[in-house]
Amino acid sequence: MTNLLEVRDVVRSFGGVRAVDRASLDVGAGSITSLIGPNGAGKSTLFNIVSGFLRADEGTVSFEGRRIDRLPPHRIAQSGLVRTFQTARALGRMTVLDNVTLAAPRQPGERLLRNVTRSRATRLRERDVRTRAHELLALVRLDGHAHEFAATLSGGQRKLLDFARVLMTEPRLVLLDEPMAGVNPVLRGELLEHVVALRESHGVTVLLVEHDLEVVMGVSDQVVVMSDGAVIATGPPDGVRSDARVVDAYLGVEA
Amino acid sequence: MFLQLLANGLVTGAVYAIAAVGVSLVYGILRIVHFAYGDLMTFGAFVAVTCDTTLGAGMVAATAAAMIATAALSVGLDFALWRPLRARRANFMSLFLASIGLALVLRQAIFLVWGPQPRSFDVDPFKVYTLGSVRLSGAQAIAIVVAVVAIALVGLLLSSTTLGRTMRAVADDRALAAVAGIDTGRVVLATWVLSGLLAALAGVLAGLVQSTFDPNFGFTLLLPVFAAVVLGGIGNPYGALAGGFLLGIVTELSTWDSLGGGVDPVYKPVVAFAVLIVVLLARPQGLLGRARLV
Amino acid sequence: MSVLTSGEFWAFVGVVAGIYTILTLGLQIEFGYAGLLNFGHVAFMAIGSYTMAILVVKSGWSMWLAAPAAVVASAAGGVILGLATLRLRADYFAIVTIALSEIVRYIATNEDRLTGGSQGTINLAGAEEASDYNGEWQRFQDWFQGALHLGSKDVAMLVLVWAVALALTALVALSIRTPWGRVLRAIREDEDATRSLGKNVFAYKLQALALGSALAGIAGLFYAWQFAFFSPADFAPLLTFFAWMILILGGVGRAWAVPVGALVFGVIFAGTRFFEFAPFTWFDSAERAYLRLMVIGLVLIGLILFRPQGLLGKREELVLE
Repeated sequence: MTNLLEVRDVVRSFGGVRAVDRASLDVGAGSITSLIGPNGAGKSTLFNIVSGFLRADEGTVSFEGRRIDRLPPHRIAQSGLVRTFQTARALGRMTVLDNVTLAAPRQPGERLLRNVTRSRATRLRERDVRTRAHELLALVRLDGHAHEFAATLSGGQRKLLDFARVLMTEPRLVLLDEPMAGVNPVLRGELLEHVVALRESHGVTVLLVEHDLEVVMGVSDQVVVMSDGAVIATGPPDGVRSDARVVDAYLGVEA
Repeated sequence: MFLQLLANGLVTGAVYAIAAVGVSLVYGILRIVHFAYGDLMTFGAFVAVTCDTTLGAGMVAATAAAMIATAALSVGLDFALWRPLRARRANFMSLFLASIGLALVLRQAIFLVWGPQPRSFDVDPFKVYTLGSVRLSGAQAIAIVVAVVAIALVGLLLSSTTLGRTMRAVADDRALAAVAGIDTGRVVLATWVLSGLLAALAGVLAGLVQSTFDPNFGFTLLLPVFAAVVLGGIGNPYGALAGGFLLGIVTELSTWDSLGGGVDPVYKPVVAFAVLIVVLLARPQGLLGRARLV
Repeated sequence: MSVLTSGEFWAFVGVVAGIYTILTLGLQIEFGYAGLLNFGHVAFMAIGSYTMAILVVKSGWSMWLAAPAAVVASAAGGVILGLATLRLRADYFAIVTIALSEIVRYIATNEDRLTGGSQGTINLAGAEEASDYNGEWQRFQDWFQGALHLGSKDVAMLVLVWAVALALTALVALSIRTPWGRVLRAIREDEDATRSLGKNVFAYKLQALALGSALAGIAGLFYAWQFAFFSPADFAPLLTFFAWMILILGGVGRAWAVPVGALVFGVIFAGTRFFEFAPFTWFDSAERAYLRLMVIGLVLIGLILFRPQGLLGKREELVLE
């Protein structure tokens, strides 16, 4: 199994505090990896660094064999590594459909001057994008809301919209930042199915940050545990669960 | 020459600094970029000049009257405008635009009441203090002394009194302050009173130093004051003080001919803006501001 | 009262409203669509007017070349503004843009040899000659008037300005419906989310500034042609605030709201000049000028308080809340 993502000895400090302390991890193609750890362990910071929203002080990040740690976030997304945010960032004053069609890559219409001469290729692409968007919305059962403003969606529905949007980008690796956060138990199951389906039906590799350990253990091929900025354990769920250092890190912390 | 320019810079800087603290407090605590603050300064200057020349009350009484009047106007405006906006949970843009509208209204009102002709305070224009190679006019000397005292008092207020510490806490983190049980109503009132007092003081001092002023002069001063506030990191009153003095000094020194001929004095305001832009290019959060994360 | 029924007066109000429409369309792209708080917009109008006048008078260019060059200069100005300031947080950006527009005005006021200084374009050819950049335009306007059998020069100008204003409004309205426009709107909603979907947010913002500034430049051209003479004082921040008022009055985020807002603003602003009844008769004309501006300020405050979506906006699409 080739490593889709390789993070090597990444360091990042804020003020005098090391938020990420020589963290390394590998994510194999076609796998689901979970990144867990108590609050303040550095998981979000690491996510921001991998996705390009923060610069690492030291260390490297490689995706599909190429260094991405100096690239701006939009270029990283364009190369197939796409992330979600903890709070689903639905674009409220745009329609649900627009939220999804926006995410499609390779749209000639996004260059202003291409719209002056609307070539057949451009128009066909736009039609295909719309069709695909409807497919994905149907997948997350939001197709009925396609023409409503995204602001009218509930929190759980926005998370589903996030999924559809992410799939629209035709990613190869998806970083899910606490996909279950703030979601009611009923919806959790549905979201979890979509996470698994990412790998099963769409062939997308997944790296997720999650607090719900049951979810994590049930779904992951690999678990990476962080504490105080460092990676303290890596391995299959069962192995990690019984690792003394992991138990130690979680002592006194609500799971 | 250098020392003279430095002294001039201190005077200009003092005026900027006082106004900048007022603007900074209003932003830090109320999240309002107060575009009408310059016109409050103008208002203070005009009230003072009326008391001084028309009523013959003398500078001290005139300034006191101006400060009280401006503080009262400030509080009144909170009831008339800012409170309703807060009730509607207006965002930054709405508040900014409202303050622009307010600036228009205030300035035109001043024009209507006082007329467009320039005014002067009743001070002896020939009185000069000499300190070595530096000559200060009576007005400049007063300005420096008063400014230093005012700044010291404000600094004391902010650092040592409960009210001051509370204000700084709210400016630093509104949500946290509310949770900590701080009476934000009192703080809001105190902010308007204090910023009103400072606006009037800055206006009077600026009017003194400029020797003549018209209803537009407050707004002309406001932009360098904003520059000072942004330079020091918006919402940080100590930063605003530093920014004010820094801009005042740099602006005056820029005309020094040893600096490759020096900048044409006419371009002094441009220097303030240029400094601001250059600093922000290097440090987008300002000199003392905090960097923002994603 | 007789003035109010004078066609000439309303043609004048109409022309000014048309110029403001073009100016505010630029702001609509920058703020209404892309969410950029540009408060230095008037500077690009000034660059448009001055570049054209200087090229015609000092460099002897034909006006038909100088005009497009002026628009390009304005657009370039917008790009430079963006390069210098787009990394700043929104409130700093707003303040810095005002500072930059004042720098432009200061340069225009003090670089006498380049711009004619504070006395304005009459001075462009030097102190001896009264200079005129408007010759070619006047000839064109006269030809236009003749070709369409229009009654007067003012009507000719009115038609020309509004033909351009409406065409530009249509173009802007069309552009926002493209995938390009969709990215702009997404940027206004949430920049980071937009970046995370692979869009180069910085590049789009620069494009919005370039286009918005180009439109301001076109407004500057018509301003220069209408008034045949201008000075730096004509490009004070007050004009930027008027454009913002029109933007909000019409409705932020809707291209067709701009001409509506501009017309209403034109009527309020110019129309009140001639109200010959109480309480206006209590004031002399200088005082009425102050009152007019006061009314503008009060209308702006009133809009923010009571109708932030403007005349044509919808509450769900509220950008100002």
